[in-house]
Amino acid sequence: MIYFTDGTKESFLTAFLAAYSDDEAYITSSQAQLALGQKSVFVGANPARAARAEQRLLSFDKDCIEELTMLLRSGEPEREQLAFGYLKFLSEERRPVRGMLAKSEVLAAQECLARVTREIHRLHGFVRFLECESGALYAPIVPKADICDLLVPHFQKRLQGIPFVLHDVPRKKAAVCDGKRCFAAPLEQAQIVLSASETQWQQLWRKYYQSVNLPSREKLKQIRGNMPVRYWRVLTELH
Amino acid sequence: MIDAKRLQILTEAARFDVSCSSSGSARKNAGGMGNGYAAGLCHSFTPDGRCVSLLKILMSNDCVFACKYCMNRCDLDVPRASATPEEIAELTTDFYKRNYIEGLFLSSAIVKSPNYTMELLLRTVKLLRQTYRFFGYIHVKGIPYADDGLVEEAARYADRMSFNIELPSEKSLKLLAPQKSKEGLLVPMRTLEKKREIFREERPKELFLPAGQTTQLIVGATPETDGAIVRLSERLYRGAKLKRVYYSSYLPMVHDSLLPDRPAGQLREHRLYQADWLLRFYGFTADEIAPEGENLPLDIDPKCAWALRNLQYFPVEVNRAPLELLLRVPGVGGRSADKILKAQRYTRLTFDDLKKMRVVLKRARHFLTADGKYYGAKDLQTVRGLLAVAEQSGTCEQLSLFDHATAYSALTGEF
Repeated sequence: MIYFTDGTKESFLTAFLAAYSDDEAYITSSQAQLALGQKSVFVGANPARAARAEQRLLSFDKDCIEELTMLLRSGEPEREQLAFGYLKFLSEERRPVRGMLAKSEVLAAQECLARVTREIHRLHGFVRFLECESGALYAPIVPKADICDLLVPHFQKRLQGIPFVLHDVPRKKAAVCDGKRCFAAPLEQAQIVLSASETQWQQLWRKYYQSVNLPSREKLKQIRGNMPVRYWRVLTELH
Repeated sequence: MIDAKRLQILTEAARFDVSCSSSGSARKNAGGMGNGYAAGLCHSFTPDGRCVSLLKILMSNDCVFACKYCMNRCDLDVPRASATPEEIAELTTDFYKRNYIEGLFLSSAIVKSPNYTMELLLRTVKLLRQTYRFFGYIHVKGIPYADDGLVEEAARYADRMSFNIELPSEKSLKLLAPQKSKEGLLVPMRTLEKKREIFREERPKELFLPAGQTTQLIVGATPETDGAIVRLSERLYRGAKLKRVYYSSYLPMVHDSLLPDRPAGQLREHRLYQADWLLRFYGFTADEIAPEGENLPLDIDPKCAWALRNLQYFPVEVNRAPLELLLRVPGVGGRSADKILKAQRYTRLTFDDLKKMRVVLKRARHFLTADGKYYGAKDLQTVRGLLAVAEQSGTCEQLSLFDHATAYSALTGEF
């Protein structure tokens, strides 16, 4: 049986309870086409059932719900199934299992979590702010995982008082910080007016990027590994 | 705003300083812009594969010294430029605000005199911290022969400082950098480290070089062996308490009869960094890594070379081995060792488990048993040959134990 969720944590936890005893269960939120003969059911969020599942899981491992949230943010097509395998194994063992790396369900979940954490770390570096006429900063980002709001505390600490917007372009949403408060908002397309000196600073940055390179030691494969191509479109120095 | 021409001259001249790290400082934002990121952060990567973390720039490339290897030496006819402290501070804060950089790496040629230059650097750092209220990472180059007072004051504002030794022996320094001496470089390092310890004991709340000191050595411009270089690094780490020693393989930018015409290979630099990691994170001593008068082998990495010289310690059973022994197995790094230790608490690990956990077995299989089973080659010559082949293949492809042909050859040692 395929259990379709609406992508939220509550819907997933409701589906988790429904699918727990089903050996053929497959939980997903993607709208992929079904193969012939496959049975499916849509499981909407049931707050009471979700809370019950959450309490039960927390009694086995106090950090597992935070891990679940990160897994669901990963943006990977198999994320719900991966979380299902991990949490089902946790429920069977009734103790924290994240160290049991020889178990494929645990390893898959831990590797997915590491990918999300790594992307957060990378994006702390790969965000490029544009200065607007008002002095506010705007940065378009193209993350694989849904982590826009998780980047905010890092920039809030270092840009004290400066308003900024992190715009997750593919997901059409933004994390906005007005200098004091932060909130999330849907944002399809941003209309910004750049400050008078913005283009000059961008040109200086490009000049700097070219100057520090040693052309006789080109290693393009290495640069793609360290700085995946999907981020290049927002990196000022590469345009 | 600094103009593009001067920016190009001052940053091209600074790119041979290989230090790019922004780690080690968790400086807090005290009501301005910026803070430290203890783990360090890369903001970009240049096509030569190096990370861009800091704005690496010279105050000036107009030098009064004549170090033979340096492209800024006074007797060369190259374009000269200087920047003011205000220009550097403005550039740093505007780059930082746009998240281009993690901080500033400020160096300089010796302008007029060491004290004059150190004063310029100090003024810039103070301007950034006090006027611009910048709390991001700052790495300041120490100027040899500058007054201790100036160096110490700069250290109170910087996160990290470095005096570049550049040439690994006194003899080479005399030959290629006659205005510098070993003591002239090592004494200020030791003095700063002592001050740092005093600060930590007496004023633990105040920051004094939270990210410590580093240095840089040029490799291949002079005849020192890798064994001698690794010993020097060991003394710097354990004696002078340096945080990092960087190695820069020699690239001929200026011609001089005392310097080689060809660049030193990057592979040698890579092997030295591997040896450096063994010193810092794997519990090795310089004596174990390379004899004093010898270079590191280029065909295999230093840990493999050590393991082949010390086969009496192998094979190691993964299910019983403690961390320090696992870390000595070629191919097993800190991350793999950590995964093995976590997993062995719950189950008896087999080779299949290690493979699933993405422990790279290409080299390790010759030095490990898992659940009592050994899949490596049987004699030393074959192991050495296979390790060299594995190294040349350049990829970290996992050996398949379940592909019939490979499994057979792993068992028989025939290829």
